Amino acid sequence: MKTLLATEGLTKAFGGLVAVNRVSLEVRENSLTLLIGPNGSGKTTLLNLCTGVLKPDSGRVVFRDQDITGLEPHQIYELGFVRTFQIPMPFIALTVLDNVLGAMRSPGEDPFRAVTKAAWIEREEEHMERALAILEKVGLERHWNMPSASLGAAQLKMLEVARGLASGAKLIALDEPIGGVDPARAGDILTHLTELKKEGITFLVVEHRIDIAAPFADHMYALDRGSIISHGPPDSVLNDPKVIEVYIGRDEAC
Amino acid sequence: MNGVDKTGSRMQDVWMKNEVVIGLVMVAVLTVIMLTLGLSLVLTILIDAAVFTIVTLSLNLEVGHTGISQFGRVLAVIAGAFVVGAVPGRVLAFLNGLPYGVSYADDAVNYKVVPAISDLLASSLPLSVGFLLFSFLLAAVAGAAVGWLTSRPAIRLKEAYLGISLLAFGDFFMWVGHNWEPLVGGTTAVFVPDPFRVVWGSRFQVVVIVAVIMAFLVYLYLEKLTRSPFGRTLHMVRDCDVAAAVCGKDIVRIRTQSLMIGSALAAVGGALYVIYAGTCTAIGFTRLTWTFWPWAYMMLGGIGSNRGVVLGVLMLTVARTLIITYRSTLFGFLLTWGIDPMWLEYTLMGLVIMLVVLFMPHGLVPAKVESILPAGRVRKAAQEQGFGATVG
Ligand SMILES: Nc1ncnc2c1ncn2[C@@H]1O[C@H](COP(=O)(O)OP(=O)(O)OP(=O)(O)O)[C@@H](O)[C@H]1O
Ligand SMILES: [Mg+2]
Repeated sequence: MKTLLATEGLTKAFGGLVAVNRVSLEVRENSLTLLIGPNGSGKTTLLNLCTGVLKPDSGRVVFRDQDITGLEPHQIYELGFVRTFQIPMPFIALTVLDNVLGAMRSPGEDPFRAVTKAAWIEREEEHMERALAILEKVGLERHWNMPSASLGAAQLKMLEVARGLASGAKLIALDEPIGGVDPARAGDILTHLTELKKEGITFLVVEHRIDIAAPFADHMYALDRGSIISHGPPDSVLNDPKVIEVYIGRDEAC
Repeated sequence: MNGVDKTGSRMQDVWMKNEVVIGLVMVAVLTVIMLTLGLSLVLTILIDAAVFTIVTLSLNLEVGHTGISQFGRVLAVIAGAFVVGAVPGRVLAFLNGLPYGVSYADDAVNYKVVPAISDLLASSLPLSVGFLLFSFLLAAVAGAAVGWLTSRPAIRLKEAYLGISLLAFGDFFMWVGHNWEPLVGGTTAVFVPDPFRVVWGSRFQVVVIVAVIMAFLVYLYLEKLTRSPFGRTLHMVRDCDVAAAVCGKDIVRIRTQSLMIGSALAAVGGALYVIYAGTCTAIGFTRLTWTFWPWAYMMLGGIGSNRGVVLGVLMLTVARTLIITYRSTLFGFLLTWGIDPMWLEYTLMGLVIMLVVLFMPHGLVPAKVESILPAGRVRKAAQEQGFGATVG
């Protein structure tokens, strides 16, 4: 399998705190790669660096053999790489449907063409069909016409996932997509991701709920205090003494 | 779920009622004013309302739809007013062998050249119409240019910083115009050639009709623009710019586009105003009148609601005009308490803003959360997917 995304020595510090420390990882095409690590280990920061939300202090990000370090998020989107947010960031004054439609590209986004409906309405109707199908997959079909601000926390998580899926990206990074979602729904979502892999989509998933997510992973990375401490097939990572120590150690501390 | 849907549509009914009731009340008020105080006061109200509808709708595009802290609306208005005060008259002066250079704006020359040009315009309807259209086009281009220019330093700034820089730009331009005489006469006004002299006799009525039609066209244009995928991207940038960027939207470009379109429209408003007034005085373009009043109109009407903005402008213009017309005759008694009725107008503005913020933060016609796309199309698509039952 080809490498779709690779980071090389990626580093980011906030003041004195090195949140991501020389991280090099690879995401293979058509895989579901799981990124685990205790709270504050740098998982979200790593996604921010990969998707242009933050600029790294040093290191490179390579996507489809192209150096994307320092590109803007929308440029990275154009190349086929999107991410979702751990803390949902809905467009609160848009309906649920428009939140999903907004993640797609439409000819009507051009201000000159926007005023002639004929220039975009057909494409928008196709998008609507796709968006509604995606909303059904994540269980929001009954809420499609409501303001996104009226959704609950778990539903907002699902809206994030829906927006990620709607983008039509080659690589979708999901930051804790099933946090707070009931286990049955969470299993459904992960099963759906596995199905989408067959359509050529690759996933990089950050998740705390390892018990639910690990069975769906092809490959796994464990992060602790900004550095990768273990990687490989899920079984070997979960049985790695370093990983066990990080998690057990944390549990005892609590 | 069904319950929520019902509440949604019931709230929609209330909003609808607001718009209709306020609209009817305004028609009634204008009728009463016409019957008791005369038609010309109504026409004055309508021309002011038309100009400020254009300016405030443009403000609403940037503030309400895009989330830009536009505290310098006056800037684009000035761009339109100055360019129409300075350029089209000079072009005609040049073509007709009249003084067109620096001396055009000199008050000793200007008061002779411009009437000569106006006479020329009065002799030909096509020339007058051409002059008018050319002036608006010029204003729109100047406005868009100013919008683009201000977007350069401003676009990366956030909220308060952006707001204060835009405000400073606006004042800067006013003072440039006030002190640099060749532009629009500096401390003295320049006259603006009158393309409406061709319909002398009924000039005022025709100006009002043209202005109202223009305001209506701007409203229609902005309704179309904001209810399109482009409008959706504006709302995305407004609601959460980081998420919009991750969803593939170039937020710098979208903010720039919004500033350029908004400023072009505001400039057309400024152009309309000086053509109607027949003069252009730099010092008249204060932030009080051209930034803060539009903000008050917009806040009263409902930020983000094009329809609300139109009603807000109309209501407050009636109040303003009545105050300005009658402040010395009816409110003269305030002087005995040491209050100059000159300032009533501004007191009203402050009062409106305070009351709206306190009691009606979303304005008279709050912006609705509804599908950007035509409701019928959305419904159809949903029904085809078997989601028909939940359609409100
Ligand atoms: N913008 C920021 N400014 C300063 N410090 C930050 C910033 N973002 C993250 N950090 C710090 O960097 C470290 C890594 O944070 P990050 O959010 O990447 O962790 P995480 O692995 O996603 O944690 P969680 O599981 O809680 O989501 C934390 O110590 C955090 O406090
Ligand atoms: Mg995180």
